[in-house]
Amino acid sequence: MNLLNRVKYILSNNIAVVMLYVVSLGAFESLKEIPDVNIFSFNLQMIIIYFYILKFPESLGLGHIFLAGIINDVVIGTPLGTSSLSYLILSFFTNYMKQVTLRSKMTSEWITFIPALFFSNLIFFIIINNFSHLSFYYIELLQNTFFTFLFFPIFHFIFSYYQTMVKDNA
Amino acid sequence: MADSRDDFIIAVRYALLKKGAKQKFSLFFLIILSVLIITLDRISVPFITSSRAIINDIVYHVSAVVSTPGKFVKYISQVKINHFYIVDENENLKKEIKLLKLNRYDSLFLKTENESLKQALKLGNAKNRDQKSSIRARVILDQESPYLKSLLINKGTKNNIIKGMAVFSKSYLIGTIVETNYFTSRVLLITDLNSKIPVVIQETDVNGILVGAGESMSLNLEYLPENFFLEPNKIIYTSGKDGFLTAGLPVAETYLDEDNELKIKPLTDPRQASIVHVTKGFLNK
Repeated sequence: MNLLNRVKYILSNNIAVVMLYVVSLGAFESLKEIPDVNIFSFNLQMIIIYFYILKFPESLGLGHIFLAGIINDVVIGTPLGTSSLSYLILSFFTNYMKQVTLRSKMTSEWITFIPALFFSNLIFFIIINNFSHLSFYYIELLQNTFFTFLFFPIFHFIFSYYQTMVKDNA
Repeated sequence: MADSRDDFIIAVRYALLKKGAKQKFSLFFLIILSVLIITLDRISVPFITSSRAIINDIVYHVSAVVSTPGKFVKYISQVKINHFYIVDENENLKKEIKLLKLNRYDSLFLKTENESLKQALKLGNAKNRDQKSSIRARVILDQESPYLKSLLINKGTKNNIIKGMAVFSKSYLIGTIVETNYFTSRVLLITDLNSKIPVVIQETDVNGILVGAGESMSLNLEYLPENFFLEPNKIIYTSGKDGFLTAGLPVAETYLDEDNELKIKPLTDPRQASIVHVTKGFLNK
């Protein structure tokens, strides 16, 4: 029982890392599997990284982000290191936003997610174009980025609620 | 002006170099490491290639285990959907059986005639499929991404799988091997944008290139002759002009969609494949 409680404690305190690895390993396909709503597919990794680097940086190490990116590259078949670099650029912009913002509100965080997503995806496109022979699905990517941005407030609410719950329990 | 520039530089430097409370690495170090990995992966250093194969094998197997609950949910929803369509499907199958019974007699006649003509022309028995070289594999992951429509199978170089081998599901071509590891391989599906197969259209001598459209059941035909109109309900076969796939393998068919627009779809949904056959018996050399 003690061990179970310990596992539960570790999992609840490292939920961001666990989620990031699980999503990168391909267990979560973000609505792709549901017919007719697969258009709403989004990138949950980016939402997790942006939210946790912005609000709870102590919960998500950069090493984990790097490793999750490598795993993601292996699973989806893109050149090794592409997702890592893309996620790290996102982390960099998030860190930068955090430094230059005095009082953060959900709406301002939502808006600043746009340039962070833009630069992160831009790096991804540049690498795919120059370091691989893969063709793009531009529309699918655009939809994916748009819905990643659109769904951010929902996950912001869920993650904030969860973190408050964990804090209260501790 | 100078102050705001200094602020900007300080913020950037802080974001890049500052390690947080529980951070072991700085962002700058990890970015440099990522760039290094991308470069080494690109120039295909033998050490990196073999390391990548090992990493791939491990990650694919872990990924297969982690996605088991998701697969189970998918399976349950598929069973539910199938249950609702089973009556319609049964009716359609009955009709199809009737039609196939009629066609069978024609086929038998044509087969006999073909064999006797081959004997007369001394062409020998040019059987395409070399059953001995067919390798049965299980799909362990069908992870989709906006960049690559592919499947991962549980057979690799250990089972003599090599790049370029053809992959079949239900006797229909669904893709080719594009990446091999020791225990696993990646199959590029014919529906992927990067897939290009030289084909010929049924009852014509018109050649074209069958290209994936990026959707699970959609294909495009490119490089068709000018003034050629594609008709519905035509089977598209491989032409074998790539010197790689044998001619005459059925790949796709044309059909009219709900808006009366002519579309091309693969003969089987590659994403539904769970057991596949990998073969080099179809090599046309």
